[in-house]
Amino acid sequence: MRILYLAYKDLLQILQDWKSALFLLVMPLLFTLFFGFIFGGTLDSESDVDPRLPIGVVNRDDGNLAISLEKLLEDSEVIRPIILNDEQAAQADQMLDDGDLAAVVIIPNGYTTKLLADEPVLLDVIINQSQPAGQTVSRALETVTGRLLGAVEAAHISIENGSADSSSLQVGITEAISAWQEPALTVIIQKATGESQKNQQTNSSGGFAQASAGMMVQFSIFGLITSAMVLVLERKSRTLQRLLSSPMQKAEVIAGHILAMFLVIFAQQLILVLLGQFGFGVDYFRQPLAILLMITVLALWAASLGLLISAISRKEDQVITLSLISMFVFAAMGGAWFPLEIAGKAFATIGHLMPTAWAMDGFQNILMRGLGFESVLMPAAILFGYGLAFFGLAIWRFRFE
Amino acid sequence: MNLMVVAFKDLKRVFRSPFALVMMFGAPLLIAGLLYFAFGGMMSGGGSFNLPTTRVAIANLDQPNPSEGTFKAGEMLIKFLKNEDLADMLKITMVPDEISAHSMVDQQQADVALIIPANFTQAAVAPEQTASVLLYQDPTLTIGPGIVKDLVNHFMDGFSGAKIAVKISESAIQKSDKQADPGLSEKTAKQYADYLGNSSHAEALHIVSPSGEAAQTESRSAMIGPIMAGMLVLFVFFMGANGAQSIIREQEDGTLARLFTTPASALTILGGKFVGVFIALIIQTVILLAASALIFHISWGKPLSVFLATLSLVIAATGFGVMLMSFIKSTSQTGPILGGVMTLTGMLGGLFSNGIPNIPEIMDKIALTMPQGWAMLAWKLSLAGNGAGTIILPILVLTILGILFFGIGLTLFRKRFI
Repeated sequence: MRILYLAYKDLLQILQDWKSALFLLVMPLLFTLFFGFIFGGTLDSESDVDPRLPIGVVNRDDGNLAISLEKLLEDSEVIRPIILNDEQAAQADQMLDDGDLAAVVIIPNGYTTKLLADEPVLLDVIINQSQPAGQTVSRALETVTGRLLGAVEAAHISIENGSADSSSLQVGITEAISAWQEPALTVIIQKATGESQKNQQTNSSGGFAQASAGMMVQFSIFGLITSAMVLVLERKSRTLQRLLSSPMQKAEVIAGHILAMFLVIFAQQLILVLLGQFGFGVDYFRQPLAILLMITVLALWAASLGLLISAISRKEDQVITLSLISMFVFAAMGGAWFPLEIAGKAFATIGHLMPTAWAMDGFQNILMRGLGFESVLMPAAILFGYGLAFFGLAIWRFRFE
Repeated sequence: MNLMVVAFKDLKRVFRSPFALVMMFGAPLLIAGLLYFAFGGMMSGGGSFNLPTTRVAIANLDQPNPSEGTFKAGEMLIKFLKNEDLADMLKITMVPDEISAHSMVDQQQADVALIIPANFTQAAVAPEQTASVLLYQDPTLTIGPGIVKDLVNHFMDGFSGAKIAVKISESAIQKSDKQADPGLSEKTAKQYADYLGNSSHAEALHIVSPSGEAAQTESRSAMIGPIMAGMLVLFVFFMGANGAQSIIREQEDGTLARLFTTPASALTILGGKFVGVFIALIIQTVILLAASALIFHISWGKPLSVFLATLSLVIAATGFGVMLMSFIKSTSQTGPILGGVMTLTGMLGGLFSNGIPNIPEIMDKIALTMPQGWAMLAWKLSLAGNGAGTIILPILVLTILGILFFGIGLTLFRKRFI
């Protein structure tokens, strides 16, 4: 009972501080809205925004093959050509720097003539291949140019075999380009939808599903600033020492404080789930028990981290600093800011060792992969294990004076 | 007591505070470092692309007709994907049927399942037949499945192209009065296959990086530069406001009132505090620029552009911080207001969205309603190697805004203290 009294006292102290609302709710909401909006424009297939990567095309050739190339680029599922006039072409580098274009393709003068004459000719492509978007555009351009050159070759073969005379070369190329609109062999993409497909339900939109879950994980740590501060202030004002002169055991004091931290973070997660469900259309309610389990273990781990931060901090500044550093490291490396898939191999491997990565896995199994309750058991168990480990560390380092 | 004594005292306080040091230097370098590690690490030392390996489960349901002899397109596709050149990119697992392949993706044992249909070989050779390979993917992934799709498409384009070549030849024969050669299809397909064997699509492109024939480190710099600039602007603005709160703290501690009893005028004391903030921000900016240039090899631009961008950033951040703190009555309000306002204005100013492709265009316009957006624009232009003439607009806007903010803040502080 004494544990509950102490937890209640901490809760009152935390909730009476209006800063708590800012750190626990307002900031995660703002970040979710912002990143959901940004990623929604690029990831959400239901969006009106053309998700293809924009590339600038500077056409310096006046031949038919340049027009055919533009047509093949327009048909691409990956890239969206934007024909640049002379004035825009002069600013192409700037547009690349600003991220308005993923690449610039320059069709050189004489491109058609040289291709028809079977002379070597290259398309100039300005692209940053160190980024995933650059690699994607590069591969898409290889496909498109492959099809164009293949069309030219098909027409050449028909002449070589005597099926057509040389005056029909352009007709053959035009027919071949048209034929590429419906190739014989194609790839159909189907996204795994797990249980949700069976239940005829749709998955959450990609942008907000990533942002909402990511910000819940990130701000579960940021919210520790006010919770961990209570303990540090109690130690500083020697309230912790005075508590030991009461009938309370040391274990009860620690339990009371960690219970308060757990309840604060759990309540925060619960409110963010509700706001995600009703405000951003993220389908948390598809598997309510699984989500409940995930936010429970996430709150347990975060509370243990909070206890550890308060155990090793001597001043208020240290609480803020440690909470911020923990947030940056765990959130960024655990995939709360961006999917680990888009990071490098070493980063992704190390990132998957973070407790936050397992929290993200659990949420994404429900929200994006459309899986059932059993899919969160492993992430929840591992997150719980991390919680125990952090709790052990906190107890080891905890000092009452 | 003169203005510089007050400024020096505040500077000592700032540089002795671990919290201030973390927020000035630690946090921006840590965040930029994490992002550099995440995305800069994609380029391995040898220049190859270094993404996580994609796990592919393949169910080959292809059933070639005996009439097609030993030609098995499904097996050819698998052999192509198992090629040792792709071994670092793809980890292939063969499964007996479609259900097993789906199950592996659902249980996250595979990132992508590839289902080769029963009529794959027939569609590769028969004139009117078509077939689709099903790519069943983990919905949280984009790049790995994209690579697999590109590879499969690249392979299948060979067959599709051969069929198109045959179709063109046959169409030409039909249009002419010539006699059709019974072996024309086979001959054309073979010629097209020979052409494919002797050509490379990549050889049709001359790829250069945005900065010309840039070295690999320059590519990394191009990526990390705007991210680091975002962190620089965010934390310089943060420290501008954090430094200006020393006035509030001294007022609460009662030391400000004691300062006003000294022979120094109130204007000198307030001026000293603002100069302290200004110098602290100059030091912060210079150290961050130097450290990031050393650690991340960022080339910040031409010296004059960098100087002007630094100066205007510090003027704007000092002015903004002074104005923000002039609205605040006690230190209990500073933390949340500082965090909240800086986060919101930084977000709208585009500091958190550097490097994200395909951002809605409206975000660029919104960014320029915030001083941070103009600061970001100035640094982006400087990073792109522009001269002072090009970046003069954001520099002027930042300077004017900084002076305006400072004027508002000073007026409010004077009303309160003088």
